[in-house]
Amino acid sequence: MLKARVIPCLLLKGGGGLVKTKKFGSPTYIGDPINAVKIYNEKEVDELMFLDITASKEQRGPNFSFLKDIATECFIPLCYGGGITKTDEIRKLLRIGIEKVSLNSVNFTNPGLISEAVKLFGSSTIVGSMDVKMNLFRKLRVFNSKTRDTTKLDPIEYALSLESRGAGEILLNAVDRDGMLAGYDYELIKKITDAVKVPVIACGGASKLEDIERVVKYSGASAAAAGSLFVYQGGNKGVLINYPNYQQLEEILN
Amino acid sequence: MKREVVTCVKCLMDSTDPDIHFNSGGICNYCLEAEETLPKYRYTDEQIGANIGRLLQHIKANRKGKYDCLIGISGGVDSSYVAHLAYKWKLTPLVVHFDNGWNSELAVSNINKILDKTGFDLQTYVIDWEEFKDLQRSFIKASVVDIEMLTDHAIVASMYRLAKENNIKCILSGTNYATEHGLPSAWVWQKVDLKNIQHIHKLFGRQPLKTFPTIGIYKSFLYKILHKLDFLEPLNIINYKKLEAMEVLEKEYGWRYYGGKHYESWFTKFYQAYILPQKFNIDKRKSHLSALIRNEEITLEQAREELAKPLYTVEDLTQEKEFILKKLEFTPEEFEEIMQAAPKRHDEYETSIHLRKKLSSLKEKFNF
Ligand SMILES: [Zn+2]
Repeated sequence: MLKARVIPCLLLKGGGGLVKTKKFGSPTYIGDPINAVKIYNEKEVDELMFLDITASKEQRGPNFSFLKDIATECFIPLCYGGGITKTDEIRKLLRIGIEKVSLNSVNFTNPGLISEAVKLFGSSTIVGSMDVKMNLFRKLRVFNSKTRDTTKLDPIEYALSLESRGAGEILLNAVDRDGMLAGYDYELIKKITDAVKVPVIACGGASKLEDIERVVKYSGASAAAAGSLFVYQGGNKGVLINYPNYQQLEEILN
Repeated sequence: MKREVVTCVKCLMDSTDPDIHFNSGGICNYCLEAEETLPKYRYTDEQIGANIGRLLQHIKANRKGKYDCLIGISGGVDSSYVAHLAYKWKLTPLVVHFDNGWNSELAVSNINKILDKTGFDLQTYVIDWEEFKDLQRSFIKASVVDIEMLTDHAIVASMYRLAKENNIKCILSGTNYATEHGLPSAWVWQKVDLKNIQHIHKLFGRQPLKTFPTIGIYKSFLYKILHKLDFLEPLNIINYKKLEAMEVLEKEYGWRYYGGKHYESWFTKFYQAYILPQKFNIDKRKSHLSALIRNEEITLEQAREELAKPLYTVEDLTQEKEFILKKLEFTPEEFEEIMQAAPKRHDEYETSIHLRKKLSSLKEKFNF
C-alpha cells in the first residue's frame, strides 16, 4: 500500500474535449477524454479527477451523458468537479458511477451546499475545492475562477471553513503554478495541511516525480494531483499520456 | 456458386485478392515480383556501411535548424526502430507523434520508453476528435475499403507542415520493402487522394472540417519540389528484419510487442480484425505474413500456424466492439446495417487519382 495517492487531473472544456491550461488560462486541446481514460485504466492509476473548467462560467451543470460515457469506460475511482450547484446533481453523478464530487465555485454563493451534501451522501464523497492565487500585494488569497477574482479570503481560514462544513477532503490548487512545471507551492500546502485534519490533495506545478515526493513528505499532502506531468512528455510538451509504475511510486512514497 | 479459393504454393496469398495471378508452377505474382526485387535490397556489410555513411552525410548536409531530421513515431516496430537507428547514429531528430484518438496504452508506453532513453524532443499532433470521428463515420458509411487512409493522409500532411515549421528537410520514414511489399492494390487506396476524402465527407459527414490536416496532390508536389523535402527510408538500406528489430527494441528499451501489425491503435485493430474480414473478405495478415516469408524471417509453416489463430478472441471482440461503436456514435443496429451493405470502390466517389498520374508523368518528363 502506498502512503499517498497520485492522481492525474484532467480538464474538460465545454463539457467535451480535454485541455491543459497554464495559470488557469490559455487552454490547449490535448485530445479525446475517453481514450485518455482507457489508457489510464491500463496504467493502474489510483484515482482520476475530471474538472470541467467552463461549466460554472457558462452557468450550466455537469454534462451528464458525456460523464456517463466516461464513467462506464473507467475502472478507476473517479472524482468530478465543475458546475455543480444542487444536491440533485450530485445524486445523479453518483448514480452514473462517479465516486466523489468536488465543489468549488458554488461555495462562494451557497456555502451551505457542502454540509447539505455531506448529510445526504457522506463526507467521503464530498471534496471541498479551493484555488489560491497571489494578489497584487503578493499575499496568497482564495481565487474565484468563475468570476476570475482574487478574493480577500485567507487560504488557511477558508480551508478550515471547508473542513468545518464537513468536506471529507480538500483539493488545493495553486493557480500561479498551474501548467508551469516548476514544482508545487510546497509552503502553502504545508500551511494548509498543518491547519486542517482532513486529507489535502495538492495540485498545480508538478513536473517530475521528485515534486510528488516532496509535496507528500515535506508538505504533508495525502494525495498529489498533476495535469501536465501526466499528459505531456518532456520539455517540448508533446502530448503523451503517462503515469509512473507501482515500483517507481513505491520508491518515492514509501 | 462459390469459386474455389486458390492459394499460392509459397506464401499465404490467395484468390480472394481479385488481382492475384499465378504462374504454371502455382506461384503468385507477389512472390515472383519479390524474387526479382528483394535482392536489390540485400547488401553486404561493407555496402551497408557505405549506405549509412551516404545517408548520414546527406542528412547532415541538409541540416538548417535545431533538428537534422523528422521522425514520425506510432509506437509500432518500424517507426520505433527508425528512432532507435537515429539514436545509434547520433542524429538530432524531432520526433512527431500523431494522436488520432485511438492510441492504445502499449503505443504510448512504447513511445515513452524510447523517448526516455534517447532524450529526443517529442511533438504531438493531436487531431480534433469530433472532426476525426465525423470523418471515420463517413468512410464507414461510404462502404469504402481504406478507412485508414484518413489517418495516413493526416500523418503525411502534418509531417509536411511540421517539417516546414521547423525548417527540416529530411524525413526518416519507416517505410520498407522487405516487410511491407506485396500489399494488393484492391485492399488500399491512395492516401493523397484528398478529393476522395472531401467528397465522401460531404456526402456522409455532419460537421465541417476546420482543423483536419490535409494535403492535396498539387501541394504535396510543391512541397517536394520547392521545399526540397526528402523522404528517406533507412530501413531499406540495412537488410531490415522485423523480428530482429523487435528483439533489439525489447532488449534496449523495454519496448513491448502488441500482438499484430498496427495494433497500436484500437481502431486499426478493429478495422483489420473485424471490418476488413467481415465486410470485405480481406485478412491483411495474409499479406503481412507472406512478406515475412519472402524476407526469410518465418517459414510457410509458421505463417500458416499464425494465420490459423483467430483474429479476435470472442471476449475481446465483444468488449472492444462495444467501446468502438460507442466512441464512433453508432448504434449496434446502425453498424450492423453498414456491415451488411455491399462494399463500394473509392472511385465510385470523386477522386483526384487521374491528376496524380498526370503529375507523375510530368515529373518523369522534366526529370525533377
Ligand atoms: Zn506467393
